[in-house]
Amino acid sequence: MDDLLQHFIVEARELIQQATDDLLALERDPAQAVHLGSAFRAVHTLKGSVGLFDFAPMGLALHAAEDLLGILRAGEGRIDGGVIDSLLECIGQMEHWVGTIEQTGQLPLDAAEEGYRLARVLRSQLDDGPASAAPAIPEADLGWVREMMARSHVPAPLRAQNKPLVAVRYTPRADCFFAGDDPIALLRSVPELMAVRLSNRDPWPPAAEIDPFACNIRIEALSGAGLDAVKAAFRFVPDQVTILEIIQSSGDHVDAAKTGPQATGQAAGAAGGGSARMLRVDAARIDRLADLVGEMVVAKNALSHLASQAGDGLDRKDLAHGLLASQAVIDRLVAEMHRAVMDVRMMPMRDIFRRFPRAVRDIAGQLGKAIDFSMEGEDVEADKAVVEGLFEPLLHVLRNAVGHGAEPEHLRLEAGKPARTRIVLRARRNGDRVMVEVEDDGRGIDPAAIRRAARERGVASADDIERMSDAEVVELIFAPGFSTASEVTDLSGRGVGMDAVRSAVERLGGQASVRSSRGRGATVHLSLPLTVVMTRIMAVRVSGELYGIPLDGVVETAFVPASRILPVRGAEAFVLRDRTLPLVRLADLLDLPRPAEPHSGMKVVVMAVGDELVGIAVDGFAERMDVLMRPMTGILAGAPGLMGTTLLGDGSVLMILDVPELIG
Amino acid sequence: MSARLDGNIIVLEGACRVEDAEPLLGWLQADRSLIVDLTDAEHLHTAVLQLLMAMRPALKGPARDDFIREWLTPALLEADPLGMAPHEG
Repeated sequence: MDDLLQHFIVEARELIQQATDDLLALERDPAQAVHLGSAFRAVHTLKGSVGLFDFAPMGLALHAAEDLLGILRAGEGRIDGGVIDSLLECIGQMEHWVGTIEQTGQLPLDAAEEGYRLARVLRSQLDDGPASAAPAIPEADLGWVREMMARSHVPAPLRAQNKPLVAVRYTPRADCFFAGDDPIALLRSVPELMAVRLSNRDPWPPAAEIDPFACNIRIEALSGAGLDAVKAAFRFVPDQVTILEIIQSSGDHVDAAKTGPQATGQAAGAAGGGSARMLRVDAARIDRLADLVGEMVVAKNALSHLASQAGDGLDRKDLAHGLLASQAVIDRLVAEMHRAVMDVRMMPMRDIFRRFPRAVRDIAGQLGKAIDFSMEGEDVEADKAVVEGLFEPLLHVLRNAVGHGAEPEHLRLEAGKPARTRIVLRARRNGDRVMVEVEDDGRGIDPAAIRRAARERGVASADDIERMSDAEVVELIFAPGFSTASEVTDLSGRGVGMDAVRSAVERLGGQASVRSSRGRGATVHLSLPLTVVMTRIMAVRVSGELYGIPLDGVVETAFVPASRILPVRGAEAFVLRDRTLPLVRLADLLDLPRPAEPHSGMKVVVMAVGDELVGIAVDGFAERMDVLMRPMTGILAGAPGLMGTTLLGDGSVLMILDVPELIG
Repeated sequence: MSARLDGNIIVLEGACRVEDAEPLLGWLQADRSLIVDLTDAEHLHTAVLQLLMAMRPALKGPARDDFIREWLTPALLEADPLGMAPHEG
């Protein structure tokens, strides 16, 4: 995908978001002219950017939206739900199309029709707007193309080459002169004209009644230049022109591929490979990184100097001293650079939060619920992966709050609550974690209903369910299999239950919990790490290979003499300070050949697995280190027992094991 | 002004712009027998061209401008004033 298009996508998303925010604000308070102006500018700018590309349907719809906003801004229209709805629909479609463009590099095939429809809907909101002036483009019948072919002065050599011809039918709007258009000048700019036919769109009025400033002409032309060249000539009037590429096969048979007013039919598939995500970064953060790189270069030079001195016979003590000093500097720089890079990856919650008001509005609209939605803590920052990973889970939690939490208005009024259900989405920073919660003042979660449902769906055994406290029972909504297909509505998701929310959050290194108070509402808490942190690991040797074990699970390391190892049925155990612990050999867990056993005993890593301590026998301990763990991706993502990988200093890859999962 | 009346000839010179349409219409409405001289016209704005199509005055040429001579003049000559199916040419 070319750079320009990538920038367009990023910018378009921002403008779409801006327009959505403004429109929602406007709906709440139609008197806020500042939002109207801001929405107008966003739509206007977006229309301008769209014009740089071959996305005519977008331009068409945005143009109509801009006109509508312009009229509202001039105080000549009333802002009501219908107007906001149609504008939001248009903006929503733009967002959808931008997504499609990002994936495929072009608009979907039905975009032209949809663009016209949106423009029509928007224009119908204008009482006396120029709607009637925009002529409907007649369905492209090919008759006129054949006639043009018949009369065209196509030189024989060209016909022989079967060079594709492009047919154009241009019906300018009646008021186009006022927009500064000169259709004939456009025609003049079409390269390699082969035929021209001029006709009147409507019958000419009697000479005395002719309006010289109403355009009443239709231009049809054939060109031997390429489709793109012809399109370029008409790029500013895509809504008034039909462009067809004619494939000349043998004889006079004409075959036209409709490429019409819509997007290119044959634009080369853009997006080469996985689409790279763009990140907007505060310039100061990049400057900081550049500074650090500068310092790093200085540190490297100091090390080079030391190396040459060592070659010249620097004595051992001085060399060791110099090395240590150099290492300390590099250590500090690496830590700072890591922090700086993490900073670059930090993004505010706002980037996803701002999409929720619209979503909540839509869901509430579908369900006929009255919702008062508010957000706090949009400025809280977290790693890009964390923030972006939160969108889907939060959307689902919000859907639940609207769908299940919010009661009908009359019930709320009976219960002495305000008619509109209050839903608050909140983010705050808590140490090195970010807490996100969705709180509603709806009906809360009924533990009895959850117990019943959990029993029916076999989420847990009847005994367990009986023993659980109400608070524990409520947590069962996160259990896999709790939300069943029968519950899946269009609204509550695409077969995704709260278990998906929990697993999505856990994938990000977080936890999900819920608190509910019957009749007073429920709060779903998500707690997430602020950053993808450095993981402290211990490297261990097994069967000649090196693996990493996260240090946070390691309790201690020990050497266990052979005499203390006891066979227990098929397994083994050992005694460590008067406690008997199970012993597992890492080689067995990894299906590696067992190495020849030393007679003296074995090296054991004692780890906490769940609530128990387990000894993991390894061949040897290697160093401990801080690593930037990369989660497993691609086909390895599902590999059991592997937490991630990291690159070692010598360029080799170290696998980091998830020992509890390995033990299963 | 790129349109001027010279006796019974309306001379269109240089690039005719949208402003030229109104006087042109006035002259043609007053006298349908006027001849329009395209020889020195370098461009005809659509508003001007469509008046020539609607009023169908006699044309004087040929235009020195390639585009007008090759494409607009023939199209003017064959355009059907009643908006009926054009003749095959």
